[in-house]
Amino acid sequence: MPARAGEPLAAALLAAGVQVFGRSLKYHRPRGPYCLQGHCSGCLMRVDGIPNVRTCQTAVRAGMVVERQRGWPSASFDAFRALDWLSGQGIDHHSMFTSSAATNRLAARFVRRLSGFGELPAGEPRPPAPVERWQRQVVVVGGGAAGLQAARELHRRGVRSTLFERQEVAGGRLLDGSDSAGGDGQGSWARLAELHRQLEGSENLELLPGTTVVAVYPGDRLQVVAVQERRTLVVEAERLLLACGDYEQVRLFEGSDLPGVFAVRAFDRLFYLHGVIPGEPVVLCGDSPRLLRLAGDLVAAGVEVAALVSGATRPPLPAGEGAFPLVPGRLPVRASGGRWIERLEIAPAPSEPADGLFDCGCLVSEYPPAPAYELAHHAGCRVDFDSACGFRVVVDDGGRTSNAAVFAAGHCTGAMSLEQALEAGRRAATGMAESLSGGSGRED
Amino acid sequence: MGKVIVCRCEDVTLEDLRQAFAAGHRDLESLKRFTGLSTGFCQGKCCAAHAGRFLAELRGGDDMVCDPTRTRPLLHPTPAACFAAIASGEAPDQEDA
Amino acid sequence: MRDRAELVIIGGGVLGLSLAYHLARMGLGDIVVIEQGYLCFGASGRNGGGVRQQWSTEDHIRLARRSVAIYRRLAAETGFNIWFRQGGYLFLSRDAVAAATLERNVKLQNSLGLRTRLLSPAQARRLVDGLDTSGVELCAYNPDDGVLFPWPVVWGLARVATSLGVEINTFCRATAIDVQGGRIVKVVTDRGAVATSRVVNAAGGWSSQVARLAGVELPNRPYRHEILVSEPLKPFLEPMVCDLADGTYFSQTMRGEICGGLSDPLEHSSLNTSSSLRFLSRMSASLLRLLPRLGGVKILRQWAGYYDETPDGNPVLGRTAGVEGFIQLNGFGGHGFMLAPAVGQIMAEWLLRRVREPLVERYGLERFSSGQLQRETLVIG
Repeated sequence: MPARAGEPLAAALLAAGVQVFGRSLKYHRPRGPYCLQGHCSGCLMRVDGIPNVRTCQTAVRAGMVVERQRGWPSASFDAFRALDWLSGQGIDHHSMFTSSAATNRLAARFVRRLSGFGELPAGEPRPPAPVERWQRQVVVVGGGAAGLQAARELHRRGVRSTLFERQEVAGGRLLDGSDSAGGDGQGSWARLAELHRQLEGSENLELLPGTTVVAVYPGDRLQVVAVQERRTLVVEAERLLLACGDYEQVRLFEGSDLPGVFAVRAFDRLFYLHGVIPGEPVVLCGDSPRLLRLAGDLVAAGVEVAALVSGATRPPLPAGEGAFPLVPGRLPVRASGGRWIERLEIAPAPSEPADGLFDCGCLVSEYPPAPAYELAHHAGCRVDFDSACGFRVVVDDGGRTSNAAVFAAGHCTGAMSLEQALEAGRRAATGMAESLSGGSGRED
Repeated sequence: MGKVIVCRCEDVTLEDLRQAFAAGHRDLESLKRFTGLSTGFCQGKCCAAHAGRFLAELRGGDDMVCDPTRTRPLLHPTPAACFAAIASGEAPDQEDA
Repeated sequence: MRDRAELVIIGGGVLGLSLAYHLARMGLGDIVVIEQGYLCFGASGRNGGGVRQQWSTEDHIRLARRSVAIYRRLAAETGFNIWFRQGGYLFLSRDAVAAATLERNVKLQNSLGLRTRLLSPAQARRLVDGLDTSGVELCAYNPDDGVLFPWPVVWGLARVATSLGVEINTFCRATAIDVQGGRIVKVVTDRGAVATSRVVNAAGGWSSQVARLAGVELPNRPYRHEILVSEPLKPFLEPMVCDLADGTYFSQTMRGEICGGLSDPLEHSSLNTSSSLRFLSRMSASLLRLLPRLGGVKILRQWAGYYDETPDGNPVLGRTAGVEGFIQLNGFGGHGFMLAPAVGQIMAEWLLRRVREPLVERYGLERFSSGQLQRETLVIG
């Protein structure tokens, strides 16, 4: 299979026309990536003998052995999908096969054989990874807009910080294509370049990309556990600044879990960064200016766009006006297709009958991302619920959480613009610097 | 009418949530246990917000959702080998999450 | 909430609900259960689901055997799948003393009708592919032990009990037990009071706190116990593996996850359910040591619950001297789930028929002051 070196495996597979990456647990529904951000389970495959590998987080290499998991006779054509067709609204696994004790024992044996994703890792057992114990004054988790801006502010104030970024390249949202050309000429790529320039060679910043923070243990000293490919870091930190961002979501409706339905930023990266169009025609659902810009760019690139469906009754007109139908006042209510989305039905509201149908080779579904609140919750910080985005870390203007040693900024604290995330990063860093110097933050 | 999948990892449908709520599981911890929601590979990253909205709607407001389900390490599934060599001689209550 | 009941059970865990279930099936449904959280909030919702019959005392062996028989039919009785999988339990001993204990236990277990047998390390390796038995002296294996899903056991018992008249109040906390003239007259909760003459303390980790509401001091103390679970994989492990040297235990659930924990000698008594890095690292090291090919298996989640421990490793059952109507059903350490079906049944018969029950007499609270202790030594997994 041809692929570009270094490209995520999932993007290469989509470019090669792979539709089904695996099968779901209970109903054997087809699964494929929708977040391409390393948080969903849609892109899991067996890679080089290792089960449940996130292919969107794995760089493609020549000679890789990539296999689908689950499904009989194969994940691509899975006879157990019949369970899905036959079960209507679902199977109650609590009550099935409980008619008699003997039936129950027999059924349990059968169910066990259907359970599980993937076989044990093949080959030599993985030996314990080397561990390093570090002590740091300030640890920043997340190198997106808020985290980088916070590091920049800490640097300016002469405070040393260690920044862990899960991806190989820091930038987060600032790397996204459709934000790259902001209306004011201050596009996100320009902002990112500026931040990198300001931080370059800084003795105050220890930047570790390719490092995943997997746990925070609170106590007298915070312990941050970060995992790299070849070693594990256990870092004792005096202060922690969480800028972990958020998780892409898609709108929920019947069939919204079909492969071919993508979150906006996932599609955005496929198109702008990797040049991959996973299916045509493209239908876009949402209201934001960035989605309209994306639609315009798709048309300009010669991609067939079937429609832009907008929940708003009067959305702003897209740049490429007239190149595709703009359907206001409608929401997607049903996606259908065998192994990949083929059709999309829309309606005035989820409870009303569908009044429109599109052939659909790929759906870009805009929905508020969910803040990544988990590490803050590990650390005992207060988290609340806001239906606009989901659970989020509660912070004050200075980024302080309910744990005095932990600060948070950016999208893990709720929905905001890129500018607001940058500003929140700056404020949290200021608040933290003040807390370190006993209330009088030093201005250089 | 087909399925609306809320939790992709465990194939939990919107109807499963409705039935669990009707059966008296009216807080997220109970809903999670009864339906399997948020117990899979992604540990809720793709469904916790959706489930919170479901609960907020049925209980009549965001304030009624209270806390998310208890968050436990790990943030991402990680090989046991990554932790096996962490020598840890400290007292157990010095490092709790 | 009812303002009057024949019996109030404090604690909606597996023990309290097993008692309510058996009483209701025997005809006494006028019961109010008070649970401070959601169903499965306490240890009943946090354990690894191991159910074994390999014990070191006759009482425990008999109770466990009876419980396994009940678990085998419970799904059909309650209409709730509990996914009980009898893949066996494999104990590993690493020194002569532990090996001698296993030999003695197996003899006792065989005499009581269990199919336990001693295995050499080589035989154990045939049972668990890839098991590292270096340093292992002797093993004991019972093919009828197993693992189940704890949550649906609780829901099933609750649903049947409710249908037979039991009222279960979740998110309801007992704040006082009113004792007048040495007799219980009512239980006060944050949602109202229930007049009753009998109260069962089935509060697990909180049982000492609940006893204090009636002015009674229990020797029970809660200890945190941690556990973790891996990504779900296709079936590859049949038995629960238990290492007597450090208390490591792990098995594969019906969902395919490796689920296990281990004891921590440094743990001190507390009602703390936080997770620790110390456990994550010790447990990971144990898994790699016992089954090296688990090194590449991904850990999904760790959590914690309680062991409700007593000085002799045996439960506290029955009447309480000085407070008439106050009944203890607690102190089951980390194995309440293994024994709850049988204990609930026996206690129900004892309460309803008012017959003499040797078990209840042996494990009464008075034993701690009279000094007649019989130690249970197999208190892991």
